[in-house]
Amino acid sequence: MHDIGSLVVHMLDETTKTSVRLFAPELVLSGTIVVMLLCRILPVVWRIPTQWVALAGAFTAFAWTLYQFDQLVTPGGALQAKSFFTGLLMFDQFSTFFRMFLSLFLILTITLTVLTGIPDREDGPDFYTLLIGATIGMMIMASANHLLMVFIGVEMTSVPSYAMVGFMKGRRKSSEAALKYVVYGAGAAGVMLYGISLLAGLTGTGSLPDMAERLSMIVAQGKGIGDPTNRTIVLASLMVLVGLAFKLSVFPFHFWCPDAFEGAAAEVAGFLSVASKAGAFALLVRFGLAFSGDSKEVSSIAFALGIGLGVLGAATATFGNLSAYGQSNMKRLLAYSTIAHAGYMLMSVSALMVLRFSKHANPEAVAEANAASLSCIEGLMYYLFVYLFMNLGAFAIVALIRNQIFSEELDDYNGLGTQCPVLCFGMTICVFSLIGLPPMGGFFAKFAIFYSVFKATSVHWVMWFVLGVGAINTVFSLFYYIRILKAMYIKPRPEGARKVSYDLMPVGLFVLMICLPVLGLGLFPARFTETFHHVASVLLTGR
Amino acid sequence: MESLGITLKWLLAAAWLLPLFGFVVQILFALKWWGRKSKTGAYLAIFCIGAGFVCSSTAFYLWDTQVGHLVFKETKSTSSVGVAEPASELKAEAADEAHSKKHSDKQTVFSGTFYQLAQFGDLKISLDYYIDSLTLAMFVMVTLIATCIHIFATGYMSEELVEDYVDHQVHSHDGGHFHRPGRFYRFFSYLSLFCFAMLGLVIAGNIFQVFIFWELVGICSYLLIGFYIERHSASTAANKAFIVNRVGDFGFIIGLMILWTSFGTFNFAEQHAADGSVRPGLFSMVTRDGHGEFAKTFDGKDVVLKTQQDEHGAWQAPPETSPRKTIAYTLLIVAGLGVFGGCVGKSAQFPLQTWLPDAMEGPTPVSALVHSATMVAAGVYLAGRFYPMFTPEVLLVIAYVGCITAFVAATIAIVATDIKKVLAYSTISQLGYMMLGLGVGGWAAGLFHLITHAFFKSLMFLCSGSVIAGCHHEQEMPKMGGLLRKMPITALTMLVGVIAIAGLAIPGVYLKFWWCIPYLSINSDHGYVLSFSGFHSKDAILATALGYTKLNPLHFLLFLIPLLTAGITSFYMFRLWFYTFLGKPRDQHLHDHVHESPWVMTAPLLVLAFFAAFCALGGEHGNLFQTLSHSEPVHVEHGFDGSHSHTVSLPDSHSLHAKVGDGASTHDVAGRAALLAAFIGMAISYLIYVKRVVNPDDIKQQAASVHAFLANRWGFDDLYDVMFVKPVHVVAKFASAIDKFLFDEILHTFVRMGIAVSKWDRKFDEGVIDGIVNLMGNSTHSLALSLRNVQTGKIRQYVTFIAVSVVTLFVLLFALYPKG
Repeated sequence: MHDIGSLVVHMLDETTKTSVRLFAPELVLSGTIVVMLLCRILPVVWRIPTQWVALAGAFTAFAWTLYQFDQLVTPGGALQAKSFFTGLLMFDQFSTFFRMFLSLFLILTITLTVLTGIPDREDGPDFYTLLIGATIGMMIMASANHLLMVFIGVEMTSVPSYAMVGFMKGRRKSSEAALKYVVYGAGAAGVMLYGISLLAGLTGTGSLPDMAERLSMIVAQGKGIGDPTNRTIVLASLMVLVGLAFKLSVFPFHFWCPDAFEGAAAEVAGFLSVASKAGAFALLVRFGLAFSGDSKEVSSIAFALGIGLGVLGAATATFGNLSAYGQSNMKRLLAYSTIAHAGYMLMSVSALMVLRFSKHANPEAVAEANAASLSCIEGLMYYLFVYLFMNLGAFAIVALIRNQIFSEELDDYNGLGTQCPVLCFGMTICVFSLIGLPPMGGFFAKFAIFYSVFKATSVHWVMWFVLGVGAINTVFSLFYYIRILKAMYIKPRPEGARKVSYDLMPVGLFVLMICLPVLGLGLFPARFTETFHHVASVLLTGR
Repeated sequence: MESLGITLKWLLAAAWLLPLFGFVVQILFALKWWGRKSKTGAYLAIFCIGAGFVCSSTAFYLWDTQVGHLVFKETKSTSSVGVAEPASELKAEAADEAHSKKHSDKQTVFSGTFYQLAQFGDLKISLDYYIDSLTLAMFVMVTLIATCIHIFATGYMSEELVEDYVDHQVHSHDGGHFHRPGRFYRFFSYLSLFCFAMLGLVIAGNIFQVFIFWELVGICSYLLIGFYIERHSASTAANKAFIVNRVGDFGFIIGLMILWTSFGTFNFAEQHAADGSVRPGLFSMVTRDGHGEFAKTFDGKDVVLKTQQDEHGAWQAPPETSPRKTIAYTLLIVAGLGVFGGCVGKSAQFPLQTWLPDAMEGPTPVSALVHSATMVAAGVYLAGRFYPMFTPEVLLVIAYVGCITAFVAATIAIVATDIKKVLAYSTISQLGYMMLGLGVGGWAAGLFHLITHAFFKSLMFLCSGSVIAGCHHEQEMPKMGGLLRKMPITALTMLVGVIAIAGLAIPGVYLKFWWCIPYLSINSDHGYVLSFSGFHSKDAILATALGYTKLNPLHFLLFLIPLLTAGITSFYMFRLWFYTFLGKPRDQHLHDHVHESPWVMTAPLLVLAFFAAFCALGGEHGNLFQTLSHSEPVHVEHGFDGSHSHTVSLPDSHSLHAKVGDGASTHDVAGRAALLAAFIGMAISYLIYVKRVVNPDDIKQQAASVHAFLANRWGFDDLYDVMFVKPVHVVAKFASAIDKFLFDEILHTFVRMGIAVSKWDRKFDEGVIDGIVNLMGNSTHSLALSLRNVQTGKIRQYVTFIAVSVVTLFVLLFALYPKG
């Protein structure tokens, strides 16, 4: 009795004094959901426009995470990295960066929906509840430190996403897409849950930091993959990765993506394409690093997984880019582009694992590999940060143009360049960045990733293949991206086409606000990469 | 003192920046807010410059009470003692002591930085201020005159207050007149910009800043001369003014480069850094010793710059053992000549004087403000400001340039018939006087004349403007005559100006009540003189010139020619007045339509007439001169003995007033001679143009060649045309021919070759390269299209894919797992 009592007291203590404070941004968002739902129920506050409530909540969460990040990054700040909620979640620079990233993205998405008018007043509370709920899930993904939280995070992201995809209830395509997404998601979740239960069963713990140690104890020494235990570990890890691959729409688990994006509103598609990927990549990195340890056997398993991820990344990029060729629908085209970019980013995770778990004898090579693995995370974070703006920009412009011409077909974009110059200029910047042309942010992002892959080539020859495929893919992608610009600027506007007119102020400002950072990140990359480097070095080396 | 400096700084800054504010508002919003027909913009401009005047005069008053007062008391007591009991050794010694004390207190300067624009290495480009009594006097003068002229211009320019202005001097192709929108607001915005630039030039605390505003007043002058840009003569004159000034600025830039290279700073005064250290300014580095000599190296070829402060705060040359900055003496001369070159251009001195008469194409208020009172005086101002940097050799050049200019311009003015041209040549001539005064060592005398001249010349220009407006834009004097009755106020105020510039005076008139006005004791050694401002300032210059020629007999022309010129000045100015206002009307039709100008135009005339008459009250013992001489560079007062170093000597300002034996002092001799010359000039003018003793046309015929020579402006324009303009045209034609027939041909050949090559290249490209690319493109495209088929959209297949993929991946991983 005494033990349980003190345990309860201890937990209460920890929860109230530490965990709740660290978890405050998520709690704020949860509180926002409650307020919005109350608005829906109570006739007194019925008139409060929910988007402003949502925006206020998002701003608060962003400010809070910004504060936390600032305190963490500055030496001698008020906050220290630690795990909380009895080790379920992790509070460190890496997770806080992603939580900040996600809440910033939430602000931008809500602003976009305010501008485009989706959802309407009636559905506002529902939509923002789903949106914010999904964001909380992603934030949990980013800070998950336990297999349980991995699953909860993924599911908490997925379930609202399903509903959001099918949010335009009247449209058949939308409902169909949502259904496909649900079924596919359920399948992937099942596989992942199986993997998690296998891992937990084998190691006897769900905590990621403890996993490597436990694994090294149970891995049969010197038997290789022929040993059943080893084989089970590989299988279990693979299955967990499948769950994440589903979220990342990695080949061959990407099938839901084009259908879902085409069926969903462009705003939702933009949200899903960036946010859920950010969360999933954060989780992937953390899961991958969970194999860190002294054991050579565990390392070699992780190394093999890393190589596999590299091959999958190359395949995904190629598949995404090539499939985008034949698309005539903008959202579908961008969906494939999203897949391709997930492939690029996956390459950097692969490079990270390959470098991190390589077998080096001499300490110099180890130090070099460690330094290179830092640049992998740095590159990934930079890529995601640029990707946030460029991909959201592209989807936002699709949504804004849709509001004018009521179409998302590429052919209907003909000759828009003269009619809405600001939107098309923004689209040009985003597209150039997505291709990876200097001086846009996309160029440096891609460069950073290819650089880390190049570093990894010294460890294993397969990475040469990955690097080559990545480079060729950049060329592939050129063709279909340029088609967008060609339609907008070179092709003439058909006779009798609907005239597009925008009052410049809010929409133009928003577009510029999203697109100029793409340029700015390209022009001044050093300011950001320094921060990212710090975050990466804390994550990998604790310093 | 500290707080006074801060007060002055902000007062002057306000006076300086208010016109800028006025300019910005007018140029951006005047048309939108008030329209073309509104005078609101003009009122804003008047308010800005008027408020600037209030600020400047407040600053002047503060200075006078807190700094100037102390010094004046001392000097006044000494001078009165000297007059009352002359030839007393003891008293003379006391006076000397007082003088030396005055010197130690002298040169109260407030300097510092408003805002640093940029820094390149050691070179700081900043907006500094340098406030001494010269700055203050210039501020008051510029703002006062500018205010009067702004008010005058609201009347003079009112024709522009229309939507459709007809310019009768511009003919369109169909024989009609040119129509354009009225530009009233634009005129006033330019005036405001000019005031800002001019005040910025005066307050500038470093030579680079001076240069910036120097160019800015140049561009304002360009805009204002070319205000009637559609008139060919106006646009040509604007171009001419601008280009001729560039010639001078070329020298200015050379000077700047030498200064920067050798001195490493542009600042006039020393700068106090935030850490308490002091960097020497230009002036502190060339501080003279007690004999007026630079610190020199042993062989005397280089000047050692004084970059160290001793314990009293005086600047000293570092000892020979430590590293020290030096500048070759010749280089110092070149730098001085270079900067003076800029002054020559801006102040229309010989040989760059040709632009100023043409500049009269601008509206008359512009001529009054920019091209007589302020901007053209900027060259003199800079020469005065930069005085410590000039070696005696440079000063000699300045003196001769001024002397030649004064004479040449005065002779041309005799034969000019356009009322504004006469005034323009007189301006050039008077500017020459100022330069001469500076050059012969009369620092305060030259700048004294600058201030007095500004008042009477702007007055006369406005009077001529009033005449021109009254005569419906007739500027030729031969068509006028007898206007005194028709426009009495204009005529009488003009007469004040004429008397002032001619330097007439009535000696021996005792005016007791002037004693009541503080600081205005008007005693001269020789009794009391009733005179207007020009008399005193011209007197001061001629006295210094006489003192100079006494020390350097070789340069006797420097006294004789200005003396002659003083007579000529009196002659042609009275000629102008007699011609215009007396006699019988020569064009009856014109005369019938003449009318006196409205009060907005005559009121400024009265104000300026008052100042033209009385601003120099008291002469060299008066308030204005004493205030100016308070900022006189320290080494000037004691003169300079150049006999050791084989250069010219400069007179000591005390010796000018000292009586030689029982006779009159140098000052009195010069004053009497000048007065005599002026009276002779006036008398001849009276005889010829009023009494008609001789018919001027007869004289013209008698001396036809001389008249033609003078009317042709000594042939300078033709000379420059032959020397510079024509050769440039020839070279330009030659260059363009080379361009056209040689380089263009070469280029064309290359282009033709390029086209031929690219034709082949295109064939290769289309046939081979494109073929390969298309092949690749088509193959990837078909692959891509086939990939579409994978995406069937069937959900059963999708779910199956999950299972299949997991198994496949596992198998692959198992198969490829790195062994060992």
